[in-house]
Amino acid sequence: MASAIATAICDELSTSASSVADVSLGVNTFLLLFGGALVFLMHGGFAMLEAGAIRSKNAMNILLQTILDAAAAAIMWYCVGFGFAYGIGDKPNKFIGNAMFGLARYKSHYTGSGMGMWTDFFFQWAFCATAATIPAGSVAERFNFNAYMGYSIFIAGFVYPVVAHWAWCVEGWLGFGVNTPLFKAGYIDFAGSGVIHMTGGLAGLIGATMVGPRLGRFDADGNPVEMPGHSAILVVLGTVLLWFGWYGFNPTSMLMITSTPAATVVGRAAVTTTLSGAAGGIACLLNGFRRHRGWDLVGLCNGILCGFVAITACCHVVEPWAAILCGLVAGLWFDFLCWVLLKLKIDDPLSAGPMHFGTGMWGVFFTGLLAKQEYIKEAYTFRSDDVDAYHLYGAFYPHSSGKLLASQVIGLLAIIGWVCGTMIPFFFIFKLAGALRIPPEMEEMGLDRSKHGGSAYNGTGVSPSAPGNDVMRNQPSAKVLPLNG
Amino acid sequence: MSNQGPLSTGGCTSEQFAEVVKALDGDSAAATALCQVFATSNRTEEIAFGLNTVFMVLSGALVFIMASFAMLEAGAIRSKNAMNILLQTVLDGAASAIMWYLVGFGFAYGIGDRPNGFIGDALFGLARYKSHETVTDVRGDWTSWFFQWAFCATAATIPAGAVAERFNFNAYLGYSLFLGGFVYPVVVHWVWCRTGWLGYGTDAPLLGAGMIDFAGSGVVHMTGGLAGLIGATMVGPRMGRFDSNGQPVHMPGHSAILVVLGTVLLWFGWYGFNPGSALVADNANVASVAGRAAVTTTLSGAAGGLTCLVIAVWRGRSWDLTYLCNGMLVGFVSITAGCSVLEPWAALLCGGVAAVLFEAACEGLLKLRIDDVVSAGPMHGVCGAWGVLIVGLLAKKEYVEQTFDRDIYPHGLFYGGGGKLLASQVIGILAIAGWVFGTMGPFFAAFRAVGSLRISAEDETLGLDASKHGVRNLGRAGVRKAMPSCRTLDPLNCVVSHISCRVESAASFPITPSSCTT
Repeated sequence: MASAIATAICDELSTSASSVADVSLGVNTFLLLFGGALVFLMHGGFAMLEAGAIRSKNAMNILLQTILDAAAAAIMWYCVGFGFAYGIGDKPNKFIGNAMFGLARYKSHYTGSGMGMWTDFFFQWAFCATAATIPAGSVAERFNFNAYMGYSIFIAGFVYPVVAHWAWCVEGWLGFGVNTPLFKAGYIDFAGSGVIHMTGGLAGLIGATMVGPRLGRFDADGNPVEMPGHSAILVVLGTVLLWFGWYGFNPTSMLMITSTPAATVVGRAAVTTTLSGAAGGIACLLNGFRRHRGWDLVGLCNGILCGFVAITACCHVVEPWAAILCGLVAGLWFDFLCWVLLKLKIDDPLSAGPMHFGTGMWGVFFTGLLAKQEYIKEAYTFRSDDVDAYHLYGAFYPHSSGKLLASQVIGLLAIIGWVCGTMIPFFFIFKLAGALRIPPEMEEMGLDRSKHGGSAYNGTGVSPSAPGNDVMRNQPSAKVLPLNG
Repeated sequence: MSNQGPLSTGGCTSEQFAEVVKALDGDSAAATALCQVFATSNRTEEIAFGLNTVFMVLSGALVFIMASFAMLEAGAIRSKNAMNILLQTVLDGAASAIMWYLVGFGFAYGIGDRPNGFIGDALFGLARYKSHETVTDVRGDWTSWFFQWAFCATAATIPAGAVAERFNFNAYLGYSLFLGGFVYPVVVHWVWCRTGWLGYGTDAPLLGAGMIDFAGSGVVHMTGGLAGLIGATMVGPRMGRFDSNGQPVHMPGHSAILVVLGTVLLWFGWYGFNPGSALVADNANVASVAGRAAVTTTLSGAAGGLTCLVIAVWRGRSWDLTYLCNGMLVGFVSITAGCSVLEPWAALLCGGVAAVLFEAACEGLLKLRIDDVVSAGPMHGVCGAWGVLIVGLLAKKEYVEQTFDRDIYPHGLFYGGGGKLLASQVIGILAIAGWVFGTMGPFFAAFRAVGSLRISAEDETLGLDASKHGVRNLGRAGVRKAMPSCRTLDPLNCVVSHISCRVESAASFPITPSSCTT
């Protein structure tokens, strides 16, 4: 009798346990599916932002490139990228992955959040596509299309996956969650201020430097000439979609939500993301007023995005007041870097270099200053003991060992070195072959007409004879300020 | 979800508690502990139900955002008809909702007292829904109506792009109601209701196999696309679309930006359309199914887009943005049937071939002098059929087993799964095509017979916005006043005004074009 009862109890318990496990898997799958879809939407938002921020004669070109990035990244991620990033083969190494190319034998391999998880491939693709598309903004309006396709494939298939392997694969050498962390600490980068934004932004900056400024951007004395975009409405649409999508980019990077610490982290990430974006926007708005005595809409949008980029590294481990500080500094740092770029006569139409590379770097560094011990333990429960034992938290908190900050600095230097070491030779080869930049006639006419068989706007307010003859430019006003100040 | 007894009895009712105590020789502490286990079990069931609900509601919302198809259509046509198509697309959402409530859901999923394989016969006006099955096994499930409505709205709005710029509004409203309330629900019943005659998951599947159409390449896209094609054929081409030698005249859309915005939002929404068609999220199999659907969807779209882009270059059209966007969409349309049962490499193949078929079909339509404005017939009709077909060739057994719960699993021909699945896919394609032709053909013919299918030539020249939708700010004075504040006005109306100014200034006395920019 007792054993019959015991059997009944144990059956019930095991049914219960397996249905809990099933539901748990379902919840996490749902989180990653929607998170990935939201990150993809950011791609679309970025397309709108870019189109609005440049002259209309090149709008089709940049839209084409941005959509193409998502497609090319998908193919490259499938063929080699996912494998280089997360593949753990028979003899794993810390530099690069070595399994799961073409999703081979994915079922028996660790895929990031579990074994054989389709959602991991999909979710991580969305981040890869983001990194691959960021440089487009820096090289807009004068870049050779073949060079563009080339670097899109190269970044998605190799440059980005390697960095992801270092920071986010358990076999990497750099990340906080790896098997053998650096200095027993490791670099914290939750959703990729460094891995994604620094990588893409620096690649873009290198490209912008090597391809040279747009014709007419700097006059004979080297002073910058205003080149505002053609549609503030598209800039705002893009910003809003990016903001919306960032709620997939940051919070869902926890990769799971089915425990109390995980759910808390996800919630906190949403809060800090919001606050940092808000602070960055206000900082740029006020700074813009100080400099130009006007309320700059595009400046506000840029500031918001800078706040998001910076908080992406540490949204899970900083206090709300720290998030505000992060965003404020990000906005001001961005303005400063834009000014520096103009002084160096580097033309970055979207300011993607200052935004993604500059504020991404700030975000990585800031993590080493103000990541809170209790929150780190919550987000990385498997390293809880290490955090206590080695004082692995922000340097501004008392008794910090500084090891986290050191790891952050090493991480950002490694990323800088890697991106420079790959992208400089890559662009240089194209430049040697004369295939980096479009000819001046094509640039005058606009890429849409010369390369894409038409115009973004047919039969609407753009005169075919006057290049860049757009509404915003025709009616200069204190209220509509140029992008780069 | 069962009633809980007082705290001490956990998940047991009082009678059950008494029984358990008796079984445990009067040990009520042990009985309490045992009943607590049942409470946990009930709680887990509740959480599973919550998970499924949130999954379906959000997926349905994502499918709804695919109504941004409106942006795509608006950008792909001339601006003088933009408001018209936007109105129609938004109206489709509303009209389909009413029809789905009144009759559509019932015709599709209603299982009455004497169910039949052709059409549903219960749940009209959601009557007695609590006692009827509603798509999933759960009785009284609200989310099913909502999620399935989003698909109905999709099917109902697809034809709009094919017949754009010259269709009579009454005819449009008419077919929207007819398609949403009858034509589409019947196809759904055949394939997705368990009492249907065609689908893989039905009680008595066709040929022992049945047609697999996970999220609707056939049910949704073929239905809408073929209806659009019939409409486009019967209403005739836009004026000036073909010259006197029958050669096509290029009629580009007015905004590539809107086309891209529409494409991106459609892509985003497809992550609800395909993975959400798993219908639940609370077990390992469906988690795998939904995840795989997201992967194959992405890959097919990528392959389709890149293939179309290559075709564009090969045709000497250089890197054409419209080709890229169309290519992606045909990739998505074609993977919709097999997203849960195809391998990733098969998804790449699916999208690539779809792109080729799409371009060929577009060429074919031009040769036949059929003006399908957004190529909805080729995209949804032809590529939808291809999507159904490839499942019969390359559905992998293991994935089919994960997706469906049956005794035997006929699968793809190229995996040694026999020909029954392929035969079912082909029969399905023919049945859907036959049904749509057989209903929409006479329907449109009736409107044509009373001269209500097409708008007048004057209306078409002026543009539907001005002639039908009260857009009046096209006078010269209105233009001069409108232009300086173009930044703050609705840009769409603003550029409409601008065209008119330039057209008028070019046609009448010699005003220089630049006067239209002040």
